[in-house]
Amino acid sequence: MPDSPDPAAALDSPDPAAPRGPGNPAGAGGGQAGAGAGPGAGTGDRAGARADQPGDAARGSGPAANGTAGPSLLLLGIDHHTVPIELRERVAYGQHEAEKLLVHLLARSAIAEALLLSTCNRTEVVLQPRDEEEAYRAALDLVFLARAPEVERPGLLYVKRNQGAARHLLSVACGLESMVLGEPEILGQVKQAAALAEAVGAAGPVLRRLLRCALAAGRRARQETAISAGAVSLGYAVIELARNIFRDLGDCRVLLIGAGEIARAVARNLAERGARELAVANRSPERARQFQEEFPQAAARPFDERFAAIREADLVIASTGADEPVITRRQLAEAMAARPGRALLVVDLGVPRNVEPAAGRIENVFLHSLDSLDHLIQRNLKRRKDEMPRVQEILDQEIAHFHGWYRGMQAEPLIARLQKQAERIRRQELSQALPHFPESSHEHLDRLTRSLVRKILHHPSDGLRGREGTEQLPRLDLVRELFRLDDYDDADADESEARARGEGGAAAADGDEKPPAA
Amino acid sequence: MTAQLLLRSANIVLPLAYLLVAVAYGFVFFAAEPRAQRFAAPALRAVIVLHFACLLGLAAHWRQFPAATESQALSLIAFAVAVVYAFVEWHGRERSTGFWLVALVFFFQLLASVLARPETPDRAIFHDPIFAVHVSLALLGYAAFAVAAAYAFLFLQLYRDLKAGRFSTFYGKLPPLAVLERMMLVALTAGFVSLTGAVVTGAFWAQRLYPSDWLHDPKILATLITWAIYGLALLLRRLRRWQGRQTALASLAGLGTILFSLVAVNFFSRFHAFL
Repeated sequence: MPDSPDPAAALDSPDPAAPRGPGNPAGAGGGQAGAGAGPGAGTGDRAGARADQPGDAARGSGPAANGTAGPSLLLLGIDHHTVPIELRERVAYGQHEAEKLLVHLLARSAIAEALLLSTCNRTEVVLQPRDEEEAYRAALDLVFLARAPEVERPGLLYVKRNQGAARHLLSVACGLESMVLGEPEILGQVKQAAALAEAVGAAGPVLRRLLRCALAAGRRARQETAISAGAVSLGYAVIELARNIFRDLGDCRVLLIGAGEIARAVARNLAERGARELAVANRSPERARQFQEEFPQAAARPFDERFAAIREADLVIASTGADEPVITRRQLAEAMAARPGRALLVVDLGVPRNVEPAAGRIENVFLHSLDSLDHLIQRNLKRRKDEMPRVQEILDQEIAHFHGWYRGMQAEPLIARLQKQAERIRRQELSQALPHFPESSHEHLDRLTRSLVRKILHHPSDGLRGREGTEQLPRLDLVRELFRLDDYDDADADESEARARGEGGAAAADGDEKPPAA
Repeated sequence: MTAQLLLRSANIVLPLAYLLVAVAYGFVFFAAEPRAQRFAAPALRAVIVLHFACLLGLAAHWRQFPAATESQALSLIAFAVAVVYAFVEWHGRERSTGFWLVALVFFFQLLASVLARPETPDRAIFHDPIFAVHVSLALLGYAAFAVAAAYAFLFLQLYRDLKAGRFSTFYGKLPPLAVLERMMLVALTAGFVSLTGAVVTGAFWAQRLYPSDWLHDPKILATLITWAIYGLALLLRRLRRWQGRQTALASLAGLGTILFSLVAVNFFSRFHAFL
């Protein structure tokens, strides 16, 4: 994501065709999108902001591609791409802090809705602003500058708006922005952020719907694609190998030879995934004891008895700092002879290697070193990258749903007015025509004209709601103008006034309505 | 007329139904599609019931065991493989391997449909109930050994991948080695029990019809060798003298012997050349 070289262009415009200088109105959201709001302040603040990627708007398809299709949204954030961990941890918010922050944000009149997503790799705030410039200022000050003033430096903070903001949130939920592509935890974190915003009352209709789409996109990405498939870390690669050999990890007896940091990390992963029987054999009893403090279920075995322990184990993880192999082919063959018919997975995480490579030739022994684990991880990462276009399709669909919903929200009052106008014309024409027909056919004519009006308005109404797969956003203003709906509104108002004065009784009885102005 | 209609319908419907089920299992294997996972196993059971009904209908119409032609025998083999696979799948609670087995079933049934003839020869031997039991058990046994060989093949693929750290197309799509081995052993055991039954009923039946020299028939000798290979493989695995890999290799070797006894020995067999 390139930093914006031009401070004035730091905040992008969703519609490149619409220049946005100071004082220029923003798009549909009505927010202000100038390069600076006040003298010096806005411009300076935004100098450090990273703009939306040029492709953000272009990537979306259909109405979503139109910058004015969606609601006004503003997203400010930092993540592992832009900011080192020292800075990220300062701007990370716990549950309680996030709650307070949301309350503070909502106290600002410029902010209608707010969401705060804070994980170890990112802190992002998504706003539905009433006044974009003020909302930006408030979020920048409260969320970022209060904790880390250096966030103002160029290229650290990114700002996205409208469709770019919506798309980014969905992309985050799908794991496309994560440090490890497709990692599954982020979906849970987005869910927690949504729950918090809901609890505080910070999520209104727009953010609530956006979060629904984001969570749906995240779920679909994981169910319908392989974006989260396969292990991409050392610990999970060991688990993946074990799962390809043994029926149930819970029934595996795990022996760790060496109790260092790597062994602990792998043991943690194994315990999380259901491994119950752990044993540790370490040269230093003190280290083994420390290991047992973290894993009370682990049995400590003297280092010299490791071969006896191997006879009972299904999975052996060797990670000592020894210069010579601590497991030789001959020793392992002897141990295997004492446990016929059972497979043994040996993972050698030591450098230099802890297990003689020739041990891998023993029947039913599956020996894997750091190299083969890396090979597995790279293979899985490639598979995940190959899935990205399919995830982008899901994003497009969910963004289209979001914008469709928003358009429907905007169109409903107009549709109601259109229907009201049509009904008025129908009644007017019917009242003039009915005297020429026998009374017995009046009901039939009434039904017929109702049906005509309903059928004529059916497709335009769906088009306005965006249900017809229209590629362009319906121009609501154009519809209002074409059908002269504002004139009818005036007529409505006159009629109501007249009724209020008691002068409209006769007209109402005749079913007479004011015709549209010529 | 009714039998002709039934035969014609079965020849179209059965391959199509097995193809549909194979496609569903394909989605399970290649795409881990959850809807296909829910659909595949019940659909297979439904097609097996339909296939069984067709076989019963034909047997009732012709009043003989429906194995008198190549087409009927192939359809019986397809049915037997489907039954054995459904049993192994139910036993192992594992559906990800169905594609390979149901595709095999589809292939046999398609061949049966292509070779189908409207008439069937009326042979006295096919009216004998002991013969029907003997052939059913033999086919069931061979089908189980074919299923075991398929699992042996998959086992060896995954074993090789895991041993060499190469991670081919099969890696990540198959059940764990332990499950594959278990499914292979279940199929082997089922096949061995069935073949034992076939040998016993065959001996009883042959003793009645050919009392003098039936034991010298090449096909019977080949069958006894097959039976001994599988019996030995199961015994050695049971005694833990053999690991999964050796059992898998023995399973493939056993299938080779079966194919030899079914095809090549036919040329030398005097009275046992039905297929």
